[in-house]
Amino acid sequence: MLEGAELYFNADHGYLEGLVRGCKAGLLTQRDYINLVQCETLEDLKIHLQTTDYGNFLANQTNPLTVSIIDTEMRKKLCREFEYFRNHSLEPLSTFFTYMTCSYMIDNVILLMNGALQKKSVKEILVKCHPLGRFTEMEAVNIAETPSDLFNAILVETPLAPFFQDCMSENTLDELNIEILRNKLYKSYIEAFYKFCKNHGDVTAEIMCPILEFEADRRAFIITLNSFGTELSKEDRETLYPTCGKLYPEGLHLLAQAEDFEQMKRVADYGVYKPLFEAVGDGSGGKTLEDVFYEHEVQMNVLAFNRQFHYGVFYAYTKLKEQEIRNVVWIAECISQRHRTKINSYIPIL
Amino acid sequence: MGRTSALLFLSRTMGSMFRSEEVALVQLFLPTAAAYACVSQLGELGLVEFRDLNASVSAFQRRFVVDVRRCEELEKTFTFLQEEVRQAGLTLPLPEGALPAPLPRDLLRIQEETDRLAQELRDVRGNRQALRAQLHQLQLHSAVLGQGHGPSLAASHTDGPLERTPLLQSSGGPHQDLRVNFVAGAVEPHKAAALERLLWRACHGFLIASFRDAEQQLEGPVTGEPATWVTFLISYWGEQIGQKIRKITDCFHCHVFPFVEQEEARRAALQQLQQQSQELREVLGETEHFLSQVLGRVQRLLPPWQVQIRKMKAVYLALNQCSVSTTHKCLIAEAWCATRDLPTLQQALQGSSSEAGVSAVVHRIPCRDMPPTLIRTNRFTASFQGIVDAYGVGRYQEVNPAPYTIITFPFLFAVMFGDVGHGLLMFLFALAMVLAENRPAVKTARNEIWRTFFEGRYLLLLMGLFSVYTGFIYNECFSCATAVFPSGWSVAAMANQSGWSDAFLAQQPLLSLDPNVTGVFLGPYPFGIDPVWSLAVNHLSFLNSFKMKMSVILGVTHMTFGVVLGVFNHMHFGQWHRLLLETLPELVFLLGLFGYLVFLVAYKWLRVTAASAASAPSILIHFINMFLFSSSPTNRPLFSGQEVVQPTLVVLALAMVPVLLLGTPLFLHREHRRCHSRRRQQPDKDTAGLLDLPDTSLASQGSDEEKAGCPGDQAEAEFVVSEVFMHQAIHTIEFCLGCISNTASYLRLWALSLAHARESRLLPTPSCWMRGPLWSLLLFFFLQYAGLPRLWPLPSRSAGSGRAGPAAMAHGPSRSAACGIFSDRGTNPCPLHRQADPQPLRNQGSPGRFLVSLSVKGGRRRRSPAGPRGGRASGRRGGLVVPTVPSSTCRAVTGPVGHGDASRPEPGRRDGCGGCGPGPRLRRLRRDDRGHPAGDGGALGLPARAAAALGGVPEQVLLGYWLQAEPLHLRRGG
Repeated sequence: MLEGAELYFNADHGYLEGLVRGCKAGLLTQRDYINLVQCETLEDLKIHLQTTDYGNFLANQTNPLTVSIIDTEMRKKLCREFEYFRNHSLEPLSTFFTYMTCSYMIDNVILLMNGALQKKSVKEILVKCHPLGRFTEMEAVNIAETPSDLFNAILVETPLAPFFQDCMSENTLDELNIEILRNKLYKSYIEAFYKFCKNHGDVTAEIMCPILEFEADRRAFIITLNSFGTELSKEDRETLYPTCGKLYPEGLHLLAQAEDFEQMKRVADYGVYKPLFEAVGDGSGGKTLEDVFYEHEVQMNVLAFNRQFHYGVFYAYTKLKEQEIRNVVWIAECISQRHRTKINSYIPIL
Repeated sequence: MGRTSALLFLSRTMGSMFRSEEVALVQLFLPTAAAYACVSQLGELGLVEFRDLNASVSAFQRRFVVDVRRCEELEKTFTFLQEEVRQAGLTLPLPEGALPAPLPRDLLRIQEETDRLAQELRDVRGNRQALRAQLHQLQLHSAVLGQGHGPSLAASHTDGPLERTPLLQSSGGPHQDLRVNFVAGAVEPHKAAALERLLWRACHGFLIASFRDAEQQLEGPVTGEPATWVTFLISYWGEQIGQKIRKITDCFHCHVFPFVEQEEARRAALQQLQQQSQELREVLGETEHFLSQVLGRVQRLLPPWQVQIRKMKAVYLALNQCSVSTTHKCLIAEAWCATRDLPTLQQALQGSSSEAGVSAVVHRIPCRDMPPTLIRTNRFTASFQGIVDAYGVGRYQEVNPAPYTIITFPFLFAVMFGDVGHGLLMFLFALAMVLAENRPAVKTARNEIWRTFFEGRYLLLLMGLFSVYTGFIYNECFSCATAVFPSGWSVAAMANQSGWSDAFLAQQPLLSLDPNVTGVFLGPYPFGIDPVWSLAVNHLSFLNSFKMKMSVILGVTHMTFGVVLGVFNHMHFGQWHRLLLETLPELVFLLGLFGYLVFLVAYKWLRVTAASAASAPSILIHFINMFLFSSSPTNRPLFSGQEVVQPTLVVLALAMVPVLLLGTPLFLHREHRRCHSRRRQQPDKDTAGLLDLPDTSLASQGSDEEKAGCPGDQAEAEFVVSEVFMHQAIHTIEFCLGCISNTASYLRLWALSLAHARESRLLPTPSCWMRGPLWSLLLFFFLQYAGLPRLWPLPSRSAGSGRAGPAAMAHGPSRSAACGIFSDRGTNPCPLHRQADPQPLRNQGSPGRFLVSLSVKGGRRRRSPAGPRGGRASGRRGGLVVPTVPSSTCRAVTGPVGHGDASRPEPGRRDGCGGCGPGPRLRRLRRDDRGHPAGDGGALGLPARAAAALGGVPEQVLLGYWLQAEPLHLRRGG
């Protein structure tokens, strides 16, 4: 069945889709990972990466190589590619790209506010910010005292502004409040993104909605898990759950009542997440819940490339690339700390 | 004696050109101490190709990986230095002289110096950077302070609060300590708007801000790009707000400067700043001077180092391909080397290893792999070899088609480009390049287009030369005919014989010369096309016929030659069965069908005379009937026995297809079976025979050439019938279809030759001379590269030996260009019938534009060039038709008839009845046809025999193509 959007997709976005598929082919393969794991030093790692699509991205580093340099350079490369996509995109793909950057912007804002709270200098924290989520007013975040201050003075011009509708309050920004702010922002962001994809329809909706549903549910699980043993009340907790996932509404309600990991697991028993929780190993040796979620995410993202004429490939590519960066950094950390026993627990990208 | 040896030498050196050289696999034992020197020496000589003996070892685990990495480190530093030089707007000179790979101990020195240089450069650059940043800062500061001057917005704003402050104080309120503060600074232009908005949102009501563009552009300290910064002055009340403002300005990376309220103090500060920046500029100048010194040193040292280190790295990479024998303390390398160079190799190794006190050893080892193809070229043959290689590199020891290409390529080009003038220009251009080839400026020119021409200079030279030759054949020089010899046609004779009267001449716009009339045709032109044809309206149809047939003849000859070249391959590799099972069927197929066509053409040229032209048989009909096994009653047979010969040839040719298809596979299969059964029988006699089996499987890697070459063990190796059959099937289809399509494609020679001639003729003004040749050159190259690979069997490795010859020599006519040999099928299936029309057709009016001055008057000009009508007009007699002039004009020009050619008597003048008819025409002719002495107006007929003697074509077979393409114009009334 051919729909109009599919017929005309290539006129506007065909070039970028071709490009992103080409980039995807440049992701490290299983063979590359096997080679990387065998490296003795970071220099070896660098030489190996030179034979891949990364090329000479470390060639200009004159200082001795560290993990953080590798991390920064890889991120820069991803950022360059992303900027290229974004600069060449047309509506509504450019809005889609804006939505993609929003999550990084939220993280950056929260990071900066936390830094300000701990009286760290802005420069120190700026280094840690994700380059994809950079915006001009970002550094002024620390002049805000309250969330509404933050919104009125700084974020009103940024794409983050619409997400603030739920979190306008006059509370002072302490650590808990910042965390709540983050989750609230994230909740409205993910719901807005979900709505955008849903409204767009076509293959994009078919691909992106499951990915975002999973993302929403994952956040719900993580929030629940992290809130055990904190002063966050169950009602408050429920308000933080994004409502666009598969768990909504019953699952989320049950999740709000959960008091420990076992109860949380029982919530997942009825849904699609059962196999994931079963894959989690107990205690030492097994996979952590986080890893399992990552693996599932990678799988979904890889599958996104099986369809054509949709925006999901851009999202999937960015996420896969991020996972790849995490993998390489993990391997590099293991190599530099001579801690080889766990070197194989990276998330393979199929 | 001496002559014999010279001949021997010649044949040996030539031999390497005709066939790729004999190459041997050698094993080199390189003592560890001398290995580096040996390989370096070998690299300088370029005699061997190393084989990778450590293919299974990854790049890091090889022996010399550390050294390679050191070279890479150095190259990285070189890149840095090079980039610096480039950024400074300088270029690196090309290195000169011999630069051998440096000794390993020299590497340290180079590394040290490079590092020092790079460090120095970094320091100086860092200094310069810092100074520039400082200067930038000062300039911004003065710009900000300067903002306070003049009637600026900021001034008026600052004035307001200043005035009010005393008022508030005087009122004695609690705001006594409250006073206006200032933040002044500069911000990058693209951030200014965002900053302004953020300031307003964050603390509106508590500040007054003014933004102004700086008066002059400032260069950015890092990029050096000029930008207009925006200076701002913010006045505010209250300390809290001040902190906020400071934070915001920080986040926008503004430069904030202290701002003194008093005008005088500001002015003083400004002066001081200007003084400081002046001093800074001086220091900056010094730094730049020093920097340029360092860069100069880099420029001098870097190029030779780059070459040396690249060589060193290459040496280590070659050494990495060697295997190590720990017991012998030496490296073992395997390499391909031409057998002829083995003594040189030996010598080189001894020379370079003698220093270390140990000697490197080289010896030949047998090998099963097929050696690489080595063909030595010189600057002359290189471009031709390049063309051949573009179609694929032949297998080891296969016949190399390049030497034949030296003649065929330029010749086939020239067939299309035949024009003395254009050819001469091309030749001179190429000659200039050849003469200047040793000049360094020419050699080192980097322009890509220029390099393309320069590399093909000898090719161009020959192409130009051959074009001059074919230009003479076509009798064209800048698209004009030249009359070196007197023309073979006489108008006067024609006029005398047929009694052209005044009235007749006035009526007839065209006159035809009939060669059957005595005295009209005196004999063939000594060389090339008779110039008189250039005056004729049917010039084109005459040339078309000639060029078309010539293309077919050239094409068939060329293809046959290629097939024959394959014979040498078969003989060389001892595959005698292929002579019988491949070459013979191929030749029969090709010659039986298309060779016969060539025969028909030649036969008709020789046997059909002008007298019998009216009833001449049509080759086209005969050739079509040949395939239909029929005959047409109206078409006279060319020779007796034709009814028997033609079907026989077709049957024979078709019968060759299955032979070609099945012959070789079946033969090889039988050979294989025989060997196998012999082996089967052996175990019965010999109990140890079983042991042979593993041997045979070991020896199974020979190619099929070797199989056939050494019968016995290898032959039966891995024989897969289906694979051999597949190859042969592909080859057969390729050949048979190729024969047909290529014959048609060779007509491109005619088509492009035509295009060239017409293009350059249409616009014969000097300014447009180059247009024709340019177009045909472009067309030529386009078709060459677009059409060829599809059509020609390429000498690829998979295609079996023996096909390299024809393939690579072909200069590919492409199907697209060929309009088909017989393009008039359809509405005019039998041109001859039409030609046999008893009514002598006279064409009228509208001669080609090139004949304009001769005959065109008034309205006739609107008709298009002469081709079609000429073709029609010449119909029966094959006469050449020249338009006449209305008698009114004729009479206007009277007087004695001057015949340009003194060598012949002028019969026209004696003639009474022809009187003034030919006279004026001749005069006009002489005047207008750019000096043709052969200016006998009237129609000329060229007898078939004469045409054949010229290499021309009898006119009886005229193409209907042109007739169809343009409408016929029959005689003008009366």
